[in-house]
Amino acid sequence: MSLQLILRIWFRHLSLALLLAFLALGSARPANFDLSPLNKNDWTLGHAKHLLERAGFGATYQEINRVYRLGPEQAVQLILKGGAIERLAPFEEFEHSGIFDQSLDPFPPSRPALTAAAKISGEGLGIKVREGVNRPLQPIVNKFFYWLRASRLETDRVVYWWANEMLATDHPLKEKIALFWHGHFAVNEDKVRDYRKMLGMLNLLRKHGLGSAEDLVNLVAKDPAMLVFLDAGVNTKNAPNENFAREIMEMFTLGDGKYSERDVREGARAFTGWEVEGLNFNFASTNHDNGKKTFLNETGSFGGEDIIEIIFEQNECGDFIASKLFTFFVTENVPPSLRSQLGEILRSADYDVSEFLETIFLSKGFYSEEIVGQRIKGPVELMVSTYRKLNISKVPGNPDFNTSSELMGQRLMHPPTVAGWAMGKSWINPSLLFERNNFILELVFPDIGFVPPDRAPPFIREVTNVQNRLREGLPVSAATAPTGIEGGMMAESNKNADRDEDFNTRLGSMRGWQMALERVRPIDRHVPSLDFSGYMQKQNVNTVVEAVNALERDFFSLRLGKEQRNKLVDYLTTLLGSNRLNYGANNSESALREFFHKMLSLPEYQMG
Amino acid sequence: MGLSSLSAFPSVASSTGNNNRIAVIFELSGGNDGLNTHIPYSDDIYYQLRPKIGIREEDVLKLDDAYGFNKSMKGMLNLWKKNQLAIVKGCGYENPSFSHFTSNAYMHSGVPNGGHALGWVGRVADELSPEFRDNLIVNIAAKQSPAVVSGVHTPIVFQDPERFRKFEWINNFENISEFDSEPSNLSFVKKVAASAKQTSFLIDEAWKNFRPTSDYGIVPFGLQKVAACIKAGFDTQLYYVSVPNNLFDTHVSQGPLHSRLLSYVSDTISGFFADLANDGLDQNVVMLVYSEFGRRPGENSNLGTDHGTANDMYLIGPKVSGGVYGSPPKLDQLNQDGNMNFTTDFRRVYSTLIRDWLELKPERILSGGLDPIEAIISS
Repeated sequence: MSLQLILRIWFRHLSLALLLAFLALGSARPANFDLSPLNKNDWTLGHAKHLLERAGFGATYQEINRVYRLGPEQAVQLILKGGAIERLAPFEEFEHSGIFDQSLDPFPPSRPALTAAAKISGEGLGIKVREGVNRPLQPIVNKFFYWLRASRLETDRVVYWWANEMLATDHPLKEKIALFWHGHFAVNEDKVRDYRKMLGMLNLLRKHGLGSAEDLVNLVAKDPAMLVFLDAGVNTKNAPNENFAREIMEMFTLGDGKYSERDVREGARAFTGWEVEGLNFNFASTNHDNGKKTFLNETGSFGGEDIIEIIFEQNECGDFIASKLFTFFVTENVPPSLRSQLGEILRSADYDVSEFLETIFLSKGFYSEEIVGQRIKGPVELMVSTYRKLNISKVPGNPDFNTSSELMGQRLMHPPTVAGWAMGKSWINPSLLFERNNFILELVFPDIGFVPPDRAPPFIREVTNVQNRLREGLPVSAATAPTGIEGGMMAESNKNADRDEDFNTRLGSMRGWQMALERVRPIDRHVPSLDFSGYMQKQNVNTVVEAVNALERDFFSLRLGKEQRNKLVDYLTTLLGSNRLNYGANNSESALREFFHKMLSLPEYQMG
Repeated sequence: MGLSSLSAFPSVASSTGNNNRIAVIFELSGGNDGLNTHIPYSDDIYYQLRPKIGIREEDVLKLDDAYGFNKSMKGMLNLWKKNQLAIVKGCGYENPSFSHFTSNAYMHSGVPNGGHALGWVGRVADELSPEFRDNLIVNIAAKQSPAVVSGVHTPIVFQDPERFRKFEWINNFENISEFDSEPSNLSFVKKVAASAKQTSFLIDEAWKNFRPTSDYGIVPFGLQKVAACIKAGFDTQLYYVSVPNNLFDTHVSQGPLHSRLLSYVSDTISGFFADLANDGLDQNVVMLVYSEFGRRPGENSNLGTDHGTANDMYLIGPKVSGGVYGSPPKLDQLNQDGNMNFTTDFRRVYSTLIRDWLELKPERILSGGLDPIEAIISS
């Protein structure tokens, strides 16, 4: 380690220490959130539970006890570096199904673009146009749909792989921060259409998520998935792409209104020539605008890296990223004065995310009554933490992780817009709340009508109709005619769907699914085996009251109200026909599961 | 314009408007390209600005000497011929934002260059009924739109009615949550849980009994669910539906894609009104269609269009006098960014719906654009 580096680190810590001292001095004035360090003697089991919930995906009672005994400093160190809890299964890299071949790269922007080009060149996606047959372009169209379907299904496997790591890891913060950044740099596979790029970006977020936010923005700005998502593949000096420059400022670093339209235009010029080649970033110098740009009041022949550097010199950049981190890990209630305090902490840590989180996790405010158990869990957090608390070490295949989380409002790799998922109250509305309850239901009483969505996705009903009609012996044109309403006029959109004689898109869609099914590996569909009777017995639970207490302690971040607890006790007593658990009778498992579903359907269970 | 600037209005229970009428708001998220929807085919400048993606005269469904619809919009053409479709040209606001989220925030709150803790549809609901009324607002969506956030009412938000059925599993859990007075996240969840229980039953029944009598096309975008609620006799007066996921954000190779999206929208809107008409229910309904912004008149180098400013808004229904309203922004007088200058404050279209359809006072809901566009809705 060079002397310079040592001095730099030393300085950084000194400045942070000075800042915290200043904040502590200033805490005489009314502050909503106390950033001063937690007193070691105030550390409780409840603190450890809260830390594991927020910095990870919850933990079992035994794990919470172990982390409690470490004391706050060591606990937070192990949370940041890994090892606070046990690993449940060895880490494995993602296993590719092998669905890609080189002829799919570059992938055409649309089916019309592909077929128009193939008509001229006589070939597309590595396939020659057929001669002397009807639908000469059909194999090319089939392959187009194959890749769309296969990439989507493979992306579902990537999510399973990631969810398993969230569940099994001994470093949950690494996955949790990746989840945060995935919502921040919200890239959607629907547009990227290449699971390899999605996986690449995910691994980038996992690897660098706890490092410098400035480094991360630089890496993400050159990441193939992001470049494709923001249309940077078509970003030349004659046609600079404003979308890319705008989103980098609005969504990733500064927030709207902190820059002018001129900054957008000038920034866009600086990013020209940034493009993707396969799975790599490429700087096409001939497409780059070398001219002078004036960006955020600085002038120079800036390139994209200079633009990011200038952005990170703005105070607003620290405030923006820090308050978003704080919203995710602590609370969405960030008054302006706190916002700038948080920004100052992040900036003086040279944008080091670990250092920022260390300050937060060791602050008094983080463990205050207004914070603990007052955050609405996101769907993915809800699922993974429920599994973890149930001691399940592998993400179940039934219920399907992707379907359940989507129904609750969060399908990974498919964020709704470039703004990612809104957090907080937006996770809850009547139907989303039902879905949370349905998830618990399907976990304790597996759906016997379950159809694996990676084998028969629910949205392919019409494709299945086409297949069935073909099997009945109908010719292609009749088999692929859209299923209409009996006697009703066929709508314009239905008429348009099958109009080109050179190929049939609906036939291609069906063939594409079949080809994808052949090559994408199936997701393991195991159902977790649960044993609530054993769980109760192991904890020496004898009465219904003790059963409610055990579930409250192990699954809830909040204490339940007295009246509510009484109702739960009455309810379980009714289900069991007794206020005691009789293990010898072996007949209470279904009742306990039904009760578990009811109890975890409470509003309080949504809070973490 | 600051936050919650209208909260100073006294809450008097006098203004309740017309309680028999229904407004359906249909949002085309992503920024619909108005110039390739209602196409100025007789304007040479349009073709100069769009040499590659401009839609040629022979591909246009002509409405009059100046304009025609995108050729995939046969359903909307029928509504036009029935004189039930009003197009308001050049809707926008000062200092336009080119951000989806910011511009949407302005449109959803009805406060350009500012904000409001409540949505404009939510505030309409609060005027229609200052006291809590069951099921006043229905939002067909996976996630509640900021437009429907109300100070009094809890909007029913749902996407898939069939998912409501399993809820009977917890129906016997009456009143288990104790409400607390503080507006915390927890009390919010408790309130939603309480209202969820009763609405689940209603929605489930409505959807089970729904029999469409017309073709809504390939993608109904939630309008079938609206029709199901109307046919089931819901007390709902305000429905909010959107084309999700920024689908209209057509930066690249927009031609076939945009045309297809318009066919979905056009089919579902005409199917919706035909379905209601078959049951004699269309007379009570006016629909407002809008997008957070239009797109730049000049095409980009990727056969698409970038975020723009002024755009058309539509009012549709049997009680609407069809036609073109407002003045179209001149394509030879673009601003320095190459964008259109808006000619109509978008809030005037909201005001038209508020005053002439729901019979409420726009000034109690909006802080500008208070003069409705005369004669679109003559009730």
